[in-house]
Amino acid sequence: MVELIFLAPFLIGIVSFFLPKKLGRVLIILTGGAHLILSVLLWRNRPEAIFPEYFSITPEGLLSLLVISLLFFLISIYTAAYLKEANIQSENIFIGSMIVFLATMTMVTLSDHIMVMWIAIEATTLASAPLIYTHRSQASLEATWKYVLICSVGIAMALLGTVLITLSMDVGNVDVPLSFSALSASAKDLDPMWLKAAFVLILVGYGTKMGLAPMHTWLPDAHSEAPSPASALLSGVLLNCAYLGIFKTNKIMSAAGLDDFSGTILIVFGLMSILAAATFILKQTEYKRLLAYSSIENMGIIAFGTGIGGLGAYGAILCLIHHSLIKSSLFLTSGNILLGYGSKLIEKTGDLASLMPKTLVAFFAGFAGISGFPPFGIFIGEMFIIVAAFRTGHHIVAVIFIISLCVVFAGFANQVMKISFGKVDKGTKIKIEEKLSMVWPQYILLFTSLVLCLWIPDTLYKTIMDAVSAIGGGF
Amino acid sequence: MIQSVDTILSLVLLSVLFSFGSSRLPVLIRVVAFQGVIVSLVPLFTNHDITTESVIFSLVTMSIRGIIIPLSIHLVLKRTAISREVEPIIGFNASLLAGLVLIISAAFVSNRLEIPSISSSALLMPAAITIFVSGMFLLIARRNAIAMVLGYIVMENGIYLVGTTFSTRTHHIVEFGILLDVLAGVMVMAIMLQNIGQKFDNVDTVHLRKLKDR
Repeated sequence: MVELIFLAPFLIGIVSFFLPKKLGRVLIILTGGAHLILSVLLWRNRPEAIFPEYFSITPEGLLSLLVISLLFFLISIYTAAYLKEANIQSENIFIGSMIVFLATMTMVTLSDHIMVMWIAIEATTLASAPLIYTHRSQASLEATWKYVLICSVGIAMALLGTVLITLSMDVGNVDVPLSFSALSASAKDLDPMWLKAAFVLILVGYGTKMGLAPMHTWLPDAHSEAPSPASALLSGVLLNCAYLGIFKTNKIMSAAGLDDFSGTILIVFGLMSILAAATFILKQTEYKRLLAYSSIENMGIIAFGTGIGGLGAYGAILCLIHHSLIKSSLFLTSGNILLGYGSKLIEKTGDLASLMPKTLVAFFAGFAGISGFPPFGIFIGEMFIIVAAFRTGHHIVAVIFIISLCVVFAGFANQVMKISFGKVDKGTKIKIEEKLSMVWPQYILLFTSLVLCLWIPDTLYKTIMDAVSAIGGGF
Repeated sequence: MIQSVDTILSLVLLSVLFSFGSSRLPVLIRVVAFQGVIVSLVPLFTNHDITTESVIFSLVTMSIRGIIIPLSIHLVLKRTAISREVEPIIGFNASLLAGLVLIISAAFVSNRLEIPSISSSALLMPAAITIFVSGMFLLIARRNAIAMVLGYIVMENGIYLVGTTFSTRTHHIVEFGILLDVLAGVMVMAIMLQNIGQKFDNVDTVHLRKLKDR
């Protein structure tokens, strides 16, 4: 009954388009809770799918699924509180789209068929478009337009790449089902030239969705215009879903012995993303865009780590998990700041320490986590990636990697200090006071991240190792 | 059979040139509809065994790609009813020249590729490449938002042609899923277009460049 976990929320989402406001707020929390329970059951029992041709449970899928589930549950609790404060028109559309969005992302994590994967990823774009357009302003219209058009065109490239994989099967006379697992098993017989072309197109396609530079232009707009709970979902889990598509294709490349080729491309795109983020973070004037660029940076780190392979791939998965936990908490916190100050500009904020102390704790801890302070998981992940880069002889790129991380850190720290402790006009009043229900979801997210740095449960460790061993990762 | 495919495909190639040289959106929509119909019928000619299932699937594809999608864009155009010009970034003469170069190079490239499964028709591969790239060209070279969406649809048509000619492996159910995604995508874009038309009184994408890093 694997399929139930995305079919059920899909139906619930459709129904909730027609429900009154109050009921919707309860429904979204209930759906999140039920989804989390189902995911944990799935993790423990690992049942067979009804349509094994199209869906199956893979270690990397399970990891993403659990992250999605946990995040959605906590974000749904925040959303219910946020909707009471923020004035959002047509709330039922917002809640319905959130739940359908959850369903489509769940489908991505479970799909094994290469075309079904594409269908699911394109569906996430469509389900999340109404979320970005929630405020009905000109700016949000522009952001949604860019998001839908750029991502759809980008993902169309991935479809072409997927078609080229079938071509590489024809040329190589391989007759297996079109699933990632079957293709990885018989990857040696696939035609290498077409497979390479397919990988490039798929990387460009899903890379657009993942926010890799230079295809990232939609990301800062969409993340800053969407309401904060939606930004948290977009940044925390949607990017992971797109990464999953790249990861699985990379698995085929690795099995075919073409991992040098795919690794180099991943490293180049990863470095470009980190550099692009570094340039834009330094002079950023809006804090939600700042967080968005930080997402681009982290996606760059993850692509870089995957490209390096070995220990780096393990580090990349660590970064992936911790980025989701920490960045979603940061976006939720930015929602509090936006409600409190009523502006997205950094210069209009300041002195968070005395005006919103509870929010400050979440904000500052999130900043420490995302920029790789030692106790947090991103630090460990980045360390692994750097060590792996030096071990495999990628000295120059490793140095560029380290320098750009430093630049990002400096820029980010500068802006965060302004928001947290900077001067603010006298008589600035907080418009909507912080509430406990809008802070503790972030605390839980950050705490989970902290715990995972100190102690990784055996089953989680084993699943990560299973996932990365297919691309030659691990110690 | 083989010649009839090539005849209709040569019409498709002509329609690409036509769309590049035309300044009016209604013409562009008609070209897209025409391409949609042809692209959905081609598999019937190239596949050796015609089953009821494949006929039904072709008809469904044709009604979506050839009728529903162009019609929905047409409705948007009617409702916003402001500018019917495509507002080119690259002029029409230059576009036409680019179209010719595109067709020739597509034919050249497909000759050099060795693909076992499509020896049946000489024009399939060049047509597929031409349609796909022409969609990208429309996306880049036109400033009108409706023309950009039409470019996206043309691109999808091209990918469909590539997909159906290369392989008979995919199941109809999966292809139907892709079709639904494309349809839903165009619907979302149509809604966005309508909103853009209302909010800006214009669908020129110059208005959609306000969000950036200062």
